[in-house]
Amino acid sequence: MTYTILGRCARTGRLGIGIATFSITVGRYCHGVRAMTGVTVSQAFANETNNQLALRLLAQGFTAGSVLSHLKSNDPDFEYRQIGVIDRSGTAAAYTGPGTRGWSGHLAADNYVACGNGLVGPGVVEAIAAGFKAKPDADLEERLLMGIEAGRDAGGQGTTALHKPERSSALLVYSRYAYADIDLRVDLHATAVEELRRVYGEYKRYEGYYADRGRNPRGAMSQEAFMSKLQAAE
Amino acid sequence: MTFSLIGRCARTGRLGLGITTFSLAVGGRCEGVAANIGVCKTQAFPNRTNDPLGIKLLAEGLLPARVMEVFSANDSEHAYRQIAIMDRDGRIAAHTGPGCRGWAGHKEGTDCVAFGNGLVGPQVLEGLISGFLTRPEDPLELRLMRAIEGGRDAGGQGTVDAHKPERSAAIKVVDRLDYPDVDVRVDVHPTAVAELRRVLEEFKLYEEFYRQRALNPSQAIPQDVFVANLKSRRA
Repeated sequence: MTYTILGRCARTGRLGIGIATFSITVGRYCHGVRAMTGVTVSQAFANETNNQLALRLLAQGFTAGSVLSHLKSNDPDFEYRQIGVIDRSGTAAAYTGPGTRGWSGHLAADNYVACGNGLVGPGVVEAIAAGFKAKPDADLEERLLMGIEAGRDAGGQGTTALHKPERSSALLVYSRYAYADIDLRVDLHATAVEELRRVYGEYKRYEGYYADRGRNPRGAMSQEAFMSKLQAAE
Repeated sequence: MTFSLIGRCARTGRLGLGITTFSLAVGGRCEGVAANIGVCKTQAFPNRTNDPLGIKLLAEGLLPARVMEVFSANDSEHAYRQIAIMDRDGRIAAHTGPGCRGWAGHKEGTDCVAFGNGLVGPQVLEGLISGFLTRPEDPLELRLMRAIEGGRDAGGQGTVDAHKPERSAAIKVVDRLDYPDVDVRVDVHPTAVAELRRVLEEFKLYEEFYRQRALNPSQAIPQDVFVANLKSRRA
């Protein structure tokens, strides 16, 4: 059981993933994002080789739907997988196999895929999509996080009688570079979505400082001095 | 300030990085770990383009020492970087620029290189290496964990008068495949090294279950059942 939002910012072309699940260290399984190329996730009984294959196919120019067909033809256990793909033009494709457990499904439209399995019902993926679409002018990372939080608030994983907690979560966004813009994780926590919001909030305060320190090391203020400045400003 | 160790398992060829620092979410800035190619990590005032470039150059067949020359030529602020590179055969190059702050340095050991800046002193590098070498027969991720703990226990970051806490930490290990083998993180925590130990130990309990579930989905037991079995084994 897992719920996920893949998203693309139509304004900037940035690509990213927001994900939360009962399994631990889910971020370890989220390597399917490449700048200006595409974003993909394989979950439920995830075929781990899918992500890198899908990214290579996307880099060659295959569309999201075509990538999904390749993944299907390449996997004897395809019916146990749940997969989402968005290509660089924002076209989205998704698949939820009949072998995935609990309530499972997806919503795919231009620039996003909301998907999940082992959920309390279809309201969760609908809420994820609505959360993602709520503030189209916000930064992609904020929109992805709002998607995940909406999925949690709609009941998340398990059944109405027996809720499953989110024990890990992750948030990834790439813009133009070979390294991530945002790469944040909660690997093992009792309320991993709340904790991801906390980590995100903390990180956002430092983000500009970390980027600038690397680009302009001469005369960069120390992190302690930066933190004092932060405190004074708050 | 940061202290890190890049290591290689001589038995299996697995490669990995263990890292901890005062800065937040350091694991999100460790993309230079590539199976069958090598490991490259730039820290202190990091040039973020170095690590992906370093991996491409290693993949082309350049030696770590040559990659370092390219970095130097490609970066007007090379003097502010701290960089360590290891290739798939365990060859090492390391650089600690004079612009790094606090006590900063690097040191090679058997199958490893330790490097750090803003540290209490050279004993932290000794702690990293001796932690890594304690049990060479163990899986690489456990050796990297012990390395970071060794660095922490030797005093870690800051000065003798003012210790700086580890607020984030990460271990990444690659084997033969083009996705991480082990990838555990702590992004914001007051004692990130101790928390990383907890996450790693928990991950090791689930690792094989997750792998088998993906490889043989039709035979997989539900995770609830697996978790219940774990609990009864612990009791």
